[in-house]
Amino acid sequence: MLRGARAAVLAWLALLALCAWAAARSHYTADMSAFLPRSPTPSQQILVDQLREGVVSRVLLIGIEGAPVEQLARLSDALAQRLSQLPGLAYVNNGDEQRLTADGEFLLRQRYLLSPGVVPERFTAQGLRAALEDDLDLLSSPLGTLVSRLLPSDPTGELLRLLDELQFQGGPPKREGVWFSSDGQRALLVVETRASGFDLDAQEHVHASIRSTFAALAQEQRADSARLVMSGPSVFATASRSAIKSDASRISTAAIVIVFVTLLVVYRSGRVVGLMLLPVLSGVLAGIAAVGVTFGSVHGVTLGFGATLLGEGVDYAIYYFTNASAGARERVLERIWPTLRLGVLTSVAGFSVLMLSQFSGLAQLGVFSITGLVVAFAVTRYVLPHLTPAQLTAVPAVSAGPWLLRIVGRARALRWPMVALVIVSIAWVVWRAPTIWDDRLESLSPVAAADRELDERLRRDLSTPDARYLLVVDASSMQEALQRAEQLGHKLDALQTSNAIAGYDSPARVLPSEATQRARQAALPEPPQLRAALDEAARGLPFQANLFEPFLKDAAAAREAPPLERGSFTGTGLGLKLGALLVERRGAWLALLPLRGVHDPSVLTGAAGAIPGVHLLDLKGEADSMYRGYRSQALLFGLLGAIAIVVLLLVTLRSWRRALDVLLPLAAAIAVTCAAFTLGGRQLNMFHLIGLLLVVGVGSNYSLFFERETFARSDRGLTVVSVALCNFATIMGFGLLGFARAPVLSAIGGTVALGAFLSLVFAAILESSRAPRPD
Amino acid sequence: MTSKANRRADVRTVLCVLGWLALLCAAPARADWDVQQLLAELAKAGPAQARFVETKYLKVLKTPIESSGTLTFEPPDRMVKRTLQPKPETMTVEADKLVLERQGRTRTLRLSDYPVLWGFVESIRGTLKGDLDTLTRFYNLELTGGPQHWSLALKPRDAKMARVISGIAITGVNGRIRTVEVDEAQGDRSVMTVVDR
Repeated sequence: MLRGARAAVLAWLALLALCAWAAARSHYTADMSAFLPRSPTPSQQILVDQLREGVVSRVLLIGIEGAPVEQLARLSDALAQRLSQLPGLAYVNNGDEQRLTADGEFLLRQRYLLSPGVVPERFTAQGLRAALEDDLDLLSSPLGTLVSRLLPSDPTGELLRLLDELQFQGGPPKREGVWFSSDGQRALLVVETRASGFDLDAQEHVHASIRSTFAALAQEQRADSARLVMSGPSVFATASRSAIKSDASRISTAAIVIVFVTLLVVYRSGRVVGLMLLPVLSGVLAGIAAVGVTFGSVHGVTLGFGATLLGEGVDYAIYYFTNASAGARERVLERIWPTLRLGVLTSVAGFSVLMLSQFSGLAQLGVFSITGLVVAFAVTRYVLPHLTPAQLTAVPAVSAGPWLLRIVGRARALRWPMVALVIVSIAWVVWRAPTIWDDRLESLSPVAAADRELDERLRRDLSTPDARYLLVVDASSMQEALQRAEQLGHKLDALQTSNAIAGYDSPARVLPSEATQRARQAALPEPPQLRAALDEAARGLPFQANLFEPFLKDAAAAREAPPLERGSFTGTGLGLKLGALLVERRGAWLALLPLRGVHDPSVLTGAAGAIPGVHLLDLKGEADSMYRGYRSQALLFGLLGAIAIVVLLLVTLRSWRRALDVLLPLAAAIAVTCAAFTLGGRQLNMFHLIGLLLVVGVGSNYSLFFERETFARSDRGLTVVSVALCNFATIMGFGLLGFARAPVLSAIGGTVALGAFLSLVFAAILESSRAPRPD
Repeated sequence: MTSKANRRADVRTVLCVLGWLALLCAAPARADWDVQQLLAELAKAGPAQARFVETKYLKVLKTPIESSGTLTFEPPDRMVKRTLQPKPETMTVEADKLVLERQGRTRTLRLSDYPVLWGFVESIRGTLKGDLDTLTRFYNLELTGGPQHWSLALKPRDAKMARVISGIAITGVNGRIRTVEVDEAQGDRSVMTVVDR
């Protein structure tokens, strides 16, 4: 081996070792949050944070079905009991009265700090008189039994008021004392995990514990037909992760096998095929290392994309070996390298679109692909020639050359049909343009439709409300957030009275600010004064003497009690609500006030404007506009990438006509692919858009070889064989991706596969229609 | 009389006595009247409209409190208790829903969420409806007296309910309820007298 050659090979091996080391040290993840935006607006950040870590992400909805009602109820009770023992769960509720009683007892004990009815006027003689007369009325009503038990401790009715405010009624119907769906087919439970929703390993562990606990129970109770169903954001996240993991490994394996076998069949030499795979594998390794180093972790989707890299990266080696067999190697190399180099550059320009994306997942794909292709090309150019024995031929492949050329020659006849197809496609796309985009954010999610339906059913059964509008209060401390929430609450009360909104929830209703709690304590008179006021109020009323001793004792204790704080609520259902509505984020505190029944959002801007730090969040609108923003951005960057490619071609080829030779097939391919993917009422999502833009970069690899001068100067037989093989490999790589479950992979894979194939076909047709007719 | 004639007369007498005895035995069989028959009669009575006067003896009060109003029942399961004195209030029970209107505010409850309240409502509604299944689901029944004047004692079967209500006694005349007396476990008592309109 020449010295230069040795140096090249050594350098390559060193690079491989380095990349392997970097890849081995990288952290691998399949967390879908990589597809959440990187630098969003404050409102989007709140949305994203809530999705990631909020209580919403930690709640699991569980249903038990497939048995008669009594058995389901027994299973529900037993399961609730056992799940309460699990360390991974913070809260378990199946509607059992015990839970309600525990919360009710808490409210009773803390009523004087919590109830908004605790104002000074209430505890004067007149106020107490009005309360006692009210109590007499209640005693004669059907609620009398309840009231008479509470009366000695709570004559002013604070507990009843609290139960009303915090809406303890409602929720799903009950049978046998536990929650059931309205048709009685499913017993329902709600649990909250301790681990955050996106800590997927911990979540998987919890899901597994829940399922195994249930399986053991079902066996003990001999309920063979009973089934457990579970849903929630973490269930979706873990399911997505396993889907992506299994897809990535399946598809990569299938791609390797298919490409390997095809190359073996064509080149009929294990050594040749082995050599051909070297550049690709180097490229994949380098790509993984680059992503690991740049982003700190490698996403499973990126690995899945490795399959496509295989399809494209093997192109260079295919061209090399096919051309190398036909004569002196150096001259061959001289002929094809310029074209291949231009092909690499156009692909890089195409993939760089991804790198600019807001989604870190897509940026990873960009870095991976660019690094992989550049390295694959470099290895083919500089290392492979030194590793290839001189006498290697690829005769069997080359023999197909003349036959393919004849087919290309006949392609001329398809010229007008092609034009017609393109015109029809453009017309179709233009006609469908208003409804062409699938604007729902769900279209990007890899969650199966069946799982989403189950989630909807469980949410409906449990009557969890769907909040669309949310008022968010920003503050530097928790108390400030609560105080602002209280001020906002007063304004919302006015809106509720005037029916501008149906209602709202506020963390300040669960945990009043310290200032408010102290004010309530001050509203309670000193014990001797309270006693005197009570005695005067009860004069002439038929209450037993000394009946209200418990009340006097409780009021005195409440005056001295320490104020409630967040920790006071742990273990209660109220704690769950508080955790959802009062969150700490990067040192600041947020109070969330979900609104119900908002007919006209503009009335809220007045309320929001009066208090500092209040934003109105339209969750659905926010998510949708976020998506549309990314789509517009993808479109913009894609156009920039396309322009860059056009410029690149003009500069290199130095002729409009030649550039058009390359670009026209691509444009036609994009039009027809777009039309094909919108057939049958289907819609395009953002990933289809990205795929269409990638077609420019990928398809140019083929149309470049059919450009008039390149084709004329090359050995046409070899060219068509190489191009056909490359195209096949690319279609395999991207096409297999089309079977992935994650839309990000399947959409990109499908569009690029079809687009690449059409690019080749249209390039051949256009070429043959340029050539002089054979005589 | 000949001895043959004497013997025939004896036989006839014996037959008469036997027949008369049989009749006597049959009469108590007709008077052996049970819960099912009572409830059947009540069910036949169909829709009912009555005035009521309710007196409650509560431990927390020195003197009993009285309220009065109207009570309507529309089969199969709608019952409306409209209190007119001392303060107007309406309680409507329909299937699983209880709606309470007082002082302009309406409060709706689902009976299946409150088993004790449900049992209490069914004690009256089930009786008016003549629904034996529902009544026996919540209570053990004991009937004394006859069709003209009967007394049905209901003892709760569920332990949780028994902790709240120790027993209910419903008395009536023919197919109509006259009084409902509720004894609460804590010592409170209420007596409701019903008068047909």
